[in-house]
Amino acid sequence: MKILVCIKQVPDMESKFKVNSENTWYDSGDLAWRMNEYDEYAVEQAVQLKEQQGDADLTVLCIGPDRVKETMKKALAMGCDRGAHLQDDESHKREPLEIASIIAEYARDKEFDVVFTGMQSQDRGSGQVGVLLGEILDMSCVTTVIEFGFEAGEIKVKRELEGGVKAKVKTTTPAVLTCQLGLNTPRYPTLPNIMKAKKKELLSSPAADLLKVDSRQNTQTMYFPEKKGVGLVLEGEIADLTDELIKILKEKTGVLA
Amino acid sequence: MEFTREIYWNVGHGFLTLGPMYLLAFAAIGVLVYGFMQRMKVYRQGQALNRTDQAGARVGDAVKSALLQTDVSRVKLPGLFHGLFFYGFFLLVIGTTLIFIQADFTDLLFGIKFLKGNFYKIFSITLDLAGLIAIVMLGALLVRRYVFKPEGLETKKDHGYMHALMFVILITGFIIEGARMAVTELGTPLAGWSPVGLIVAQGMSGMGEESLRLVHKLTWWFHFLLVIGFIVSIPYTQFRHIFTTSVNRFFADRGPLGKLTTLDLEDEEAESFGVASLTDYTWKDIFDADACTLCKRCQDRCPAWTTDKPLSPMKIVNQIGELAFNGSEDSLVDTLGKDALWACTTCRACQDICPASIEHVSKIIDVRRSLVLMEGEFPGEEVMTAMEHTEVNGNPLGFGYASRGEWAEELDVAVLAEDSEVDILYFVGCYGSFDKRNIKVAKSFVTLCKEAGVKVGILGKEEKCCGEPMRKMGNEYLYQTMAMENIETIKNYGITTVVTTCPHCFNTLKKDYQDLGLEIEVVPHAVYLEKLMNEGRLNIRSEELNCTYHDSCYLGRHNDIYEAPRKVISAAGGEIVEMEMSRDQAFCCSAGGGRILADENIGTRISVKRAKMAAATGAPELLSNCPFCLTMFEDGVKGAELEGQLVPRDIAEILAERVEPEKA
Repeated sequence: MKILVCIKQVPDMESKFKVNSENTWYDSGDLAWRMNEYDEYAVEQAVQLKEQQGDADLTVLCIGPDRVKETMKKALAMGCDRGAHLQDDESHKREPLEIASIIAEYARDKEFDVVFTGMQSQDRGSGQVGVLLGEILDMSCVTTVIEFGFEAGEIKVKRELEGGVKAKVKTTTPAVLTCQLGLNTPRYPTLPNIMKAKKKELLSSPAADLLKVDSRQNTQTMYFPEKKGVGLVLEGEIADLTDELIKILKEKTGVLA
Repeated sequence: MEFTREIYWNVGHGFLTLGPMYLLAFAAIGVLVYGFMQRMKVYRQGQALNRTDQAGARVGDAVKSALLQTDVSRVKLPGLFHGLFFYGFFLLVIGTTLIFIQADFTDLLFGIKFLKGNFYKIFSITLDLAGLIAIVMLGALLVRRYVFKPEGLETKKDHGYMHALMFVILITGFIIEGARMAVTELGTPLAGWSPVGLIVAQGMSGMGEESLRLVHKLTWWFHFLLVIGFIVSIPYTQFRHIFTTSVNRFFADRGPLGKLTTLDLEDEEAESFGVASLTDYTWKDIFDADACTLCKRCQDRCPAWTTDKPLSPMKIVNQIGELAFNGSEDSLVDTLGKDALWACTTCRACQDICPASIEHVSKIIDVRRSLVLMEGEFPGEEVMTAMEHTEVNGNPLGFGYASRGEWAEELDVAVLAEDSEVDILYFVGCYGSFDKRNIKVAKSFVTLCKEAGVKVGILGKEEKCCGEPMRKMGNEYLYQTMAMENIETIKNYGITTVVTTCPHCFNTLKKDYQDLGLEIEVVPHAVYLEKLMNEGRLNIRSEELNCTYHDSCYLGRHNDIYEAPRKVISAAGGEIVEMEMSRDQAFCCSAGGGRILADENIGTRISVKRAKMAAATGAPELLSNCPFCLTMFEDGVKGAELEGQLVPRDIAEILAERVEPEKA
């Protein structure tokens, strides 16, 4: 069995974001990088499937600048066999179809049976890459997977729908699955596996060679929403608080008029 | 008359006495040696460890600890009983040895007798009273064990046998003495030099000489056989502690206090890290089990055990011993129990009080290392999340690394990347940097330094978690990653003095980083502030303050710093009402050993227990010196419903309130 897991490196969401000088994306200074949360579920599930199958080969793929290799090493330490780094310093500017098509070009002749990826990225959140990839490669695609089983060539998954509704879906390989929170608890890499990961194959090649579509979208501007009113917490003695509250209500509202 | 007595009186000096006597004595010693050699095979299942360096000092400490009973007497009453029993027993052994030397050596070969005259008088009364003291103390120990039954004291068959044997040996000793005196000494001035023997002799005097001689002879042989039985049973019962506990003092860890071994993670040959099975432990870890006397002092003080968690340091040590001696194939981790292993706060209360020099904490951390590094296991998902936060942002709280220095932005604090000409590097730590409550402490410390004219620098976003909680949780890899980055940064700025407000950072930078190549002066804020005050650079107004003081484990038991914080507090006008468990006996706040990262799901809450102890002093303020303690006490005060009655604060905060501007 051949398995592919596609991951993205994203900034830690606790970072302090600033909009870049072109007003089209966030500035990459002072950010801490990590694996997209949903992709961690994808990697974990891919490794579990590989362990279940025994003789499976699991490739982790990531598009981005050289720094993404650090995140790929974590996937390798979690149990992926080899890494395909598609080098692209401009990946943050690419729309979902471009990303999906790069991956599709990479995967086209490699006969992957199952492709896992996150249901969306934490930074762009378009949620399209997995779906577009399935479409381009003419593979079945199931989104928002929260349970996964593989038996006798058949994939059985549980999906999470809006409002907590669940659905059970069967499909055959080859298939693309996009993973949702709740699918599994990603493992913590063991030290021997971290050491082994350093020696695993991690090949970089230019993503540009695989880009066969033109961009159809462009981000015009990116900005923080304007602050519209803020909450106010009053602290102190109750007597003072009452006075203060009445004053505010008088000054700023008409309720006491 | 000559003050002396005939050795071997009534039993005879001939071959019929000495022959079987020596034969049995040598056989008994043979069995003793054989017994220990068998046990040595078991110890040798463990890995190598050098514990014979500084041999002179080791011998000195072992002899001192045994002869002065320094370690065992740290717990008052049982310590007194044991100590006096030991002296009684020890004097009797010396007395018997002197008899042996005279009868079978100096007198036999050279006709020299030294057990006579005034020396004999002293000899006689000393041994007589030693026997009495030994009997009384043995009685006290027996009453304690079998009547009062202190909670947690495990009584085994061994103990019954040992008490009975000692009793009968001592009693028969007096019967032999009494019978001999009834025949030879009654009415002579010598009799008064054996007051206990005299009473026994008077009691027996009605029996007539022939009966007395028969009783004497039979009892003598019976007594002798019991002693042989004693010698033979040493390796096979807890009598072995006479040897193993004193020898373990020789093999004791000689510090630095509480320092863990630094694993070589680059070792390509290493197939595993940490301890996964019995034979991964060192021989000392197995020997420790043989030195344990089940005195349960460790268990009594264990913050986990006393709040109904499954960890008892005593049980851990003995479970390891049982696996080793039973040749059991059972899994080490399952035997010790994961919940027990994760419950340790590394407070060192067990190790500090242990009279047998046992090293409990490293045994637990070693297994944690295996669980984390080899299995990727943690006590809970929250701990794994904290580890991941630390990997990404260099702090377990999950804040963005770039905001680490923000707390100091409005203060006059140099960030080394911009200005590295500073007097001290303040290593703020994760809690001082990110935790609201502890930012107040960090700000107080900076204020104090400023008033004292000290230029403070911080690393800001270049500072990483010191790695201590991760290390104690077993994640040596993440610890070393953090440590290496911090060391490189600190070295780059050519810093000579680091001051910390977190004792965990202090302990780690000072001791643990040495193994990774950082050797600089690291000072905890309590000590640093005391120094500034002593030098007259920091003027603190004395203002009434009723408080109690909590010794953090890492300033106290891990570093023996008890006075500096107390001096600082009293200089500020603080009247400390000490808690029942303070100084080296202080009860942990619950957050050490990486437990700060973990939820406390089993038993009752340690922090609540400690808060109640503090409240019991009646003092309205609970002062401490550690961000973990402070965090836990804020929690514990709420849990114990003591809000408004007990206010937890750091010493830096009370000083900052009382600081006077520098006099011109």
